[in-house]
Amino acid sequence: MKAAPFDYVVPDSIEAAVSHLAEGAGDAVVLAGGQTLMPLLALRMAQPGVVVDINRIRELSGVSRLDGATRIGAITRQAEVLTDPTIAAHAPAIAQAVRFVGHHQTRNRGTVGGSISLGEPAAELPCTALTLGARIEARSTRGTRQIAAEDFYLGPYSNALEPDELVTALHFPDLPAGTITVVHEIARRPGDFALVGLICALTVEGGAFSRARIGWFGMGPTPLRSPQAEQALVGQSLGDVDLTEIGRLAASETDPLDDHHATAAYRRTVGARVFRRAVSQALEARKAA
Amino acid sequence: MTEMTHAARFVGQRIARKEDRRLLTGNGSYTDDVVVPGMLFAAFVRSPIACGKITRFDAEAARALPGVHAVYAADDLRTLDIKFLQLYSSPTATPPHLWPLADGRVVYVGDPIAIVVAESRALAEDGAGLVEVDYESEDPVVTLDQAKALAKAVHPELGAKPADEVSTPDDPGMAEVFANAAHVVTGTIRHQRQAHSPMETRAVLAQPKGSGELTVWVSCQSPHMAARYLSMAFSLPAHSIRVISKDVGGAFGLKVQLWREETAAVAAALILGKPVKWIEDRLENLISANQAREQEMTVKLALDADARLLAADLEYHSNIGAFPHGIGANGLGMMMFPGPYKLPRIAFKAKAYYSNTVGEAAYRGPWMIESLARETMLDVAARQIGIDPLELRRRNLITKADQPFNMVTGPVLNWVTPTETLDLAVQKIDVAAFRKEQAAARAEGRYLGLGFAVYVEPTTMAMGGVLSTEAAQVQVEPTGKVTAVLSTHSQGHGTETTMAQVIADSLGVPFDDVTVLEDDSSRGGFGAGAGGSRQAVAGGGAAMRATAILKDKIKAIAAHMLNASAEAVEIENGMVTVAGAAEMTTPLAQIAATAYFETERLPPGMEPGLSAQYRYRPPPIVFSNASHACVCEVDRDTGVVKILRWVASEDCGVMINPAVVEGQIAGGVVQGIGGVMMEEIHYDEMGNPTAATFKDYLIPTISDVPEIEYCHLITPADNEGGYKGVGEGGAIIGPPTMVNAVADALAPFGVRCLDLPLTPPKLLALMDAAEGI
Amino acid sequence: MSEHRIELKVDGQPVVKTVEARTTLGDFLRDECGRTGVHLGCEHGVCGACTVIVDGKAVRSCLMLAVQANGVEVTTAQGLAAADGTLSPVQQAMQDEHALQCGFCTPGVVMTLTALTAGGARPTEAELRGALSGHLCRCTGYQGIIRAARKLSGANA
Repeated sequence: MKAAPFDYVVPDSIEAAVSHLAEGAGDAVVLAGGQTLMPLLALRMAQPGVVVDINRIRELSGVSRLDGATRIGAITRQAEVLTDPTIAAHAPAIAQAVRFVGHHQTRNRGTVGGSISLGEPAAELPCTALTLGARIEARSTRGTRQIAAEDFYLGPYSNALEPDELVTALHFPDLPAGTITVVHEIARRPGDFALVGLICALTVEGGAFSRARIGWFGMGPTPLRSPQAEQALVGQSLGDVDLTEIGRLAASETDPLDDHHATAAYRRTVGARVFRRAVSQALEARKAA
Repeated sequence: MTEMTHAARFVGQRIARKEDRRLLTGNGSYTDDVVVPGMLFAAFVRSPIACGKITRFDAEAARALPGVHAVYAADDLRTLDIKFLQLYSSPTATPPHLWPLADGRVVYVGDPIAIVVAESRALAEDGAGLVEVDYESEDPVVTLDQAKALAKAVHPELGAKPADEVSTPDDPGMAEVFANAAHVVTGTIRHQRQAHSPMETRAVLAQPKGSGELTVWVSCQSPHMAARYLSMAFSLPAHSIRVISKDVGGAFGLKVQLWREETAAVAAALILGKPVKWIEDRLENLISANQAREQEMTVKLALDADARLLAADLEYHSNIGAFPHGIGANGLGMMMFPGPYKLPRIAFKAKAYYSNTVGEAAYRGPWMIESLARETMLDVAARQIGIDPLELRRRNLITKADQPFNMVTGPVLNWVTPTETLDLAVQKIDVAAFRKEQAAARAEGRYLGLGFAVYVEPTTMAMGGVLSTEAAQVQVEPTGKVTAVLSTHSQGHGTETTMAQVIADSLGVPFDDVTVLEDDSSRGGFGAGAGGSRQAVAGGGAAMRATAILKDKIKAIAAHMLNASAEAVEIENGMVTVAGAAEMTTPLAQIAATAYFETERLPPGMEPGLSAQYRYRPPPIVFSNASHACVCEVDRDTGVVKILRWVASEDCGVMINPAVVEGQIAGGVVQGIGGVMMEEIHYDEMGNPTAATFKDYLIPTISDVPEIEYCHLITPADNEGGYKGVGEGGAIIGPPTMVNAVADALAPFGVRCLDLPLTPPKLLALMDAAEGI
Repeated sequence: MSEHRIELKVDGQPVVKTVEARTTLGDFLRDECGRTGVHLGCEHGVCGACTVIVDGKAVRSCLMLAVQANGVEVTTAQGLAAADGTLSPVQQAMQDEHALQCGFCTPGVVMTLTALTAGGARPTEAELRGALSGHLCRCTGYQGIIRAARKLSGANA
């Protein structure tokens, strides 16, 4: 399994990188962590003419605060997310999700930007972006723009980026006070593709849900939300809420496929149960805290 | 049996392995680590369709690519008259036409059509990508059900019939036994296809020399077997071939037989007159390396009112793909079905079928269906009859008093301890306490399960042919150190260590003074090496006999030199001693130096030097046995299974190195867990494999395994040393233990779990359906 | 296809070579640096046999390009034992606990454990086992690897 031949460039600035992408005219791919691209190259499923390595672009690294959001540079390693103090303080849900991503060894190289832009349907970070309402900052020779996560994922491994656009950072807006986050997945083995993945951001005020975001991964061609279930939750009091029913409603809004590992029916059934279990555990933990 | 004249100092100890140092420091020598001058690299063009004719083949662009030295298809290899050995074929089977490269037709996805030889593997793959092939595609025969239908011939020259069949003669009385039986229990066990997945894939480097010699490094299970195969396959004199195989990264039966790609690579080297290396990548390994275990067995058991077995009627089918290493309908599986139980009557019909999938290779305990089917159906029977599965077993298991015991199928069981190992396992689990815990958990909606399985294992497999013997040459060097060349071979088995333990004890020298060599067909005598759980018995026996001869010689020399009687001479810790005369103590090195260099001091007429060899014929079968138990929990919401405990209560006779024994058991058990819970080679309707990488073919990780608890009994048979085989056992007894644990957990749902693998979706569907969800 | 001159340190030795863009770090270490102890078990980043330490982190060398290793320090299993042959604590723990059989997955396991216990660090057993879930072993059933990890771990947090 050796890659087909390609040219390799390693720009040291964003300008240089997007120039390469513009010149590449669709035959250039971005190399970030490489944990997904390298296997595709080895299997010759991807045969780009040019590989643009962005790992030496300093401006693409680092975690900072900007306009009430946590800004995560695209090449921030997944492993860094687990220990970064800004993320711990302002967006701990991202670290919660990263714990499920791949393995220790892949997290040392894999990046936040790489995972989010790849949009693997069964991956944690794209769903985290969607559920937490992140914005994807992208640059090209034509300038910079921010794309809302809900507009970003078009299909499996297909996103709203132009072929010559580079993801430069992810912006995660602060969640309202009183928000609990839930990250849970069912996988065959740790680090495997999720059979069923759930990420929720549920805001509780005065003993009732005031805001709900329910997101799934492994449950459709892209990460997706359950807007009906979200609406049904809002206004429900913690004491009265029927998580079994909400879970069923939420799972019914997903669009899973049959594949080698599980059927669509399994995913919906288990999705509903995972919702009930994970959310009630999170609410219990909140009570105890 | 040769007696050891003093207590074993090394045999029985968990001695650190000699192999470990080089392997831990990354200094192993696997086939891909070998580099020879002018080495070229091979890649294959493979069929993307499962069945059809090749209508056009154009390698012009590939051959023109700079760095590509050759592209050979089937016809290009015909300058060599290549014959394929098949080690295991049943005498009644007719093999299909077999050539290293697809010969006009392709019969499975991945079928190698051409070999591209280039200056690097990357270039060879570039070249392979430029080869143009057109096909006329035909509908493939893929699944076992399709194969059974025999609607078309997978190999046209053989016609549409089973690859092989074996059955018992008609037994007209059988129907009456079933008709009159108090209990009749029926079930069908289905086992999915698995891939051996050794961490080192197949690998070969063939270096022809201008002198007509051929050196081949290959990842194999015996350098001697590989050399013999090459000699016969290519009609080359045996002495002209040297096979070197120092470190092998696991094999499990896949590498017993050099197969098509390895043969094609050697052929390419011979035609080119240049060294050619082929390292299988993982994609190739999961798509085109031979596979195993795709089979089903329908079992009918008749029991009397006391739950005593009266008869078993078996129907067995297996899908052995297009080009199996050996063609057979698993007669051994049928023969072993009674296991350690008193089963008075049996009938079976077994058939194997070809299909347009990768061919079968023996995989760790290839006959394991017998224990899987028997042990799971005994539990089904127990539930149906309404008695404890343990009680059902106790009423039918053989005990010491029953031995020697003639199995109804022929083999004689002796020196086995199934009842005793079961007792130990039951004790260790504390079944009564578990049942309480299980009941409490059920009340909370949690499903714990406990499964047992008991089996006997036919080891050694020295029934005849190449498997009949193993050889040992043991030599005391003039330095006093001991060098042994054995026909054993390790792909992780640790024989460099275990055989050294045996020799050190048998001779009376320090373990560190013994070096075992087994990596080179140009030294030592022929042997089959690894396979059939035979090396402790056959290799150990050869080592002991050769060492005994050597020891007698040393004693005779010492007696002569020291003016003592041979009976008074001992060898302990590398020193030769004379009873009652401490001042006569002499280092073995001195005796050895005399034997080689001061030959006038030897007893008159004695051959100088200090080496001996022995070719040992072990008993054809030596039975070991075990009982395993597993505690698991099945998550009601998701069908995910967690293994909580595993007990392996075993008896493999004298253990040379208990750590090695436990390692073999553990490795087999975890492979068995993989087979029951998660591994599946699957093809779509067009015969495309869907699990072609490790992302889809799931093998157990550290998170999937229990910490295994062991009980050991030691009941020797009558072979040299009292050793018994154990290598395959975990993979035979593991699966039914696991299945029975899951089935016990799911007992409240009244469902059967006999359709492997028991994936979370499958188990959830069973539970939900039972509750009408 | 572009070629690139790279300079790096491998097991403490400086290496200067020209590589093709497509060559992986794993292949480079094996073919150009004599580090045949780096094993390629899958070449798609699942089995972990190719694991090495790059600038202190355990990574899969089949998922890095050699050209990306310009300026880094790489440690492999061949660089751990002392000059007098004394095994490193990780290597010794694995030998003591019979954590290997065929040895093919072994160097990768050694490197993950080495990276996590570097500088006297003693992660919890759970943390070590979590990191070891990124390694496939077909021979041992992980039993000795679990015991070695336990030996190398610190008290539970």
